Amino acid sequence: MTILTAILIVTGSILYTLLVHKKDLLEPERPSPVAPLEEYKERIANSLRDLQFDYRVNKLSEHDYEQAKLGLENELARVAAEIDKVLGKSAERVDQGFSPAQVKETSRQTACPRCGARFSQPLKFCGECGSPIQRSAS
Amino acid sequence: MENLGSLALLIAFCLAVYAVASSVIGGWAHKPLLVLSAKRAVYAIWFLLTIASFLLVHALLSGDFRLAYVAANSNRAMPGLYKFAAWWGGQEGSLLLWSWLLSCYSAIVVYVNRAKHRGIMPYLIATLMVTQVFFLILNAFVASPFRVLAVGREITAVPDGNGLNPLLQYWAMAIHPPMLYLGYVGFVVPFAFAMGSLITRQQGDAWIHTTRRWTLVIWLFLSCGILLGAGWAYAVLGWGGYWGWDPVENASLLPWLTATAFLHSVMVQEKRGMMKVWNMVLISATFLLCIFGTFLTRSGVVSSVHAFAESSIGKYFLSFLAIVIGVTSYLIITRLDYLKSDARMESVISRESSFLFNALILIASCLAILWGTLFPAISQAITGEKISVDATFFNRMNVPIGLFLLFLLGMGPLFAWRRTSLESLRRNVFVPGIAAALFVAALMAAGVRHPYALVSFGLCLFVIWTIAAEFYKGARAIGARTGRNLLFSVVELTHRNTRRYGGYIVHMGVVLMFLGFTGAAFNKQATMEVNVGGAFTLDHYVLRVASLREGDTDNYAWDRAVVEVSRNGSPLSRLEPERRFYKASRQAVSEVAIRHRLDEDLYLNFAGFTEDGSKAVIQAYVFPLVSWIWIGFLILIMGTLVCLVPSKTKFQPPQTHMAGATREYAPASK
Repeated sequence: MTILTAILIVTGSILYTLLVHKKDLLEPERPSPVAPLEEYKERIANSLRDLQFDYRVNKLSEHDYEQAKLGLENELARVAAEIDKVLGKSAERVDQGFSPAQVKETSRQTACPRCGARFSQPLKFCGECGSPIQRSAS
Repeated sequence: MENLGSLALLIAFCLAVYAVASSVIGGWAHKPLLVLSAKRAVYAIWFLLTIASFLLVHALLSGDFRLAYVAANSNRAMPGLYKFAAWWGGQEGSLLLWSWLLSCYSAIVVYVNRAKHRGIMPYLIATLMVTQVFFLILNAFVASPFRVLAVGREITAVPDGNGLNPLLQYWAMAIHPPMLYLGYVGFVVPFAFAMGSLITRQQGDAWIHTTRRWTLVIWLFLSCGILLGAGWAYAVLGWGGYWGWDPVENASLLPWLTATAFLHSVMVQEKRGMMKVWNMVLISATFLLCIFGTFLTRSGVVSSVHAFAESSIGKYFLSFLAIVIGVTSYLIITRLDYLKSDARMESVISRESSFLFNALILIASCLAILWGTLFPAISQAITGEKISVDATFFNRMNVPIGLFLLFLLGMGPLFAWRRTSLESLRRNVFVPGIAAALFVAALMAAGVRHPYALVSFGLCLFVIWTIAAEFYKGARAIGARTGRNLLFSVVELTHRNTRRYGGYIVHMGVVLMFLGFTGAAFNKQATMEVNVGGAFTLDHYVLRVASLREGDTDNYAWDRAVVEVSRNGSPLSRLEPERRFYKASRQAVSEVAIRHRLDEDLYLNFAGFTEDGSKAVIQAYVFPLVSWIWIGFLILIMGTLVCLVPSKTKFQPPQTHMAGATREYAPASK
């Protein structure tokens, strides 16, 4: 009985290991060409969230907050553009972006009606106090 | 049966060697079928080791005293739980447990990631299986648990075994070693991911994202193992201490320190893309220290209360450690280009710098403990004379380090990522700082003079205050927006960023543990020889020996002192410390009696009788605040579990309208 069990265990283990076929191969995940960029983008996004939170609980001066936020937003925009470029959609975003007049108009448009914070890009909600921002609020 | 066990170990060893070869060749030559075959070998090894473990446990439970391991570590009268625990009570069994746990982890990792990480998977399997090969060499050829007793060429059996070491016959011992081993073994997984990432020169932080939760769970296992060990020492060894800086205790603390440093510094890599080399070094050091811990426990190279097994397997461990150190160092040095930071430290007053400080302090503590632990062995090797290092050295080194860490626990939450304004830091430190100073002044007025205790109490209050303030400020901001009460807001806040607030809860647990450690500065003790009816006083307790009893079980004979405890004339409780004499191993151990309270424990040990047998020897101790160590530990577990819960919200950048911002903000990049 023991010998039979031993034979079964040994042959079973060895055959299971060695007898592999192509049909047993799983379809591998398709690595995204922008995976490291997406990872970086998420990191910046999380940093922005932390920055806003730290500012809200008074760990940062106004000046440091604005400076760090601007830097992060710049970086976020750069990475977003790079991702688009890799994916072949760069033209719309960067090369054929808004005209300076449009950008100026955009900047002018977004000020929070509640706390007065100004944002250079249109937002549906204030990044400072969370109040809804309507286009007409400008 | 024993032949089947040995055969299973032998085939598992062969398959592990095959898995290393096929995964490396498959990865290098891009042969997915070879890698698949290596994956299957991992499952087969798990199956074979499960069979071997089952056979050993069956032999222990059924009392198959033909096996040398069973005869040495079990006996008929032992309760079933301890017969099962004898699996890891001796060297051969515990090495088999190591191997089996490793095979479980390997099988889980390979299964969960069967369609992921295609690039690093072959090398990840190779790393896991190299470790498996090492342990299977020990299991199959050096310390086999299936050796039989023989007279000449004839297999024989002893009528009964020696039984498990009586010190190990305690309920926590059924959990403590497996927990510790789950931690020790588990760190091979993040290490294997790190090696896979290094070998394949991966640029992203994928291995960190994949192993983050895994590392946290393993860290929790290791923490549980260490604390259960401390609880065991407190309740079983009879001297009332929970930590004696024993080499094997130290060996479990070393990887915990580096793993804690890793858990913190890995956040800097995730947030800022910094400290990549540092993280590689830390996770490698953690894995190496886990192997080193097993080596210390099992080799008998240093004398320890845990020296349950002494043998010559040390040279195998040292060889394996040397190989791993060599390969890891080579990989890190040759891949430095891929480990460059994405950003630089913007300010010393920032969260990342506080994490760096924290890691440095933990490493300093680790090195100090490592040096103290190895010093007797090193001194013997160099001078031929063994110079022992006692607890005083470790306390002198680690108490100031611990207090500085406590200080950092308080300061950490006050720092923002990137940079913190001095003004806000001053504002946030001011109130808790004043509160801590006032508290210390009040303690001094109350007569407390111990300098380290005063600093520790002050820092404990400081840290509790800053953490509570973090929760309060965050919850208030949420409450203002949602209109919900503070409790809801605290829960919501924690759920929104479980990692941050779970971490704070862990810190809170650590602070409470520090509170308990600080109580040791005020311990009191008395050893008295008393007759039945005799009484003595310790601190504000009056202890009267009401009676002495004796009895017998199949496993041990016992003597018990019934001690009535009173304070200011009013009875408090009745404690019954016991002295047991285990028949199989012919060893005596104490079963202490403890009156647990939040302010202090009263701890009685029945040390036996005087030489003439007329009086009972009672050792009595008062341990202030010690309960807070166990409470803090429960909070630490709770906080770690919170960290494992996915956060509720993720920051979503306003992508749709980013075009304008891109144009405006990024002219230089064009």
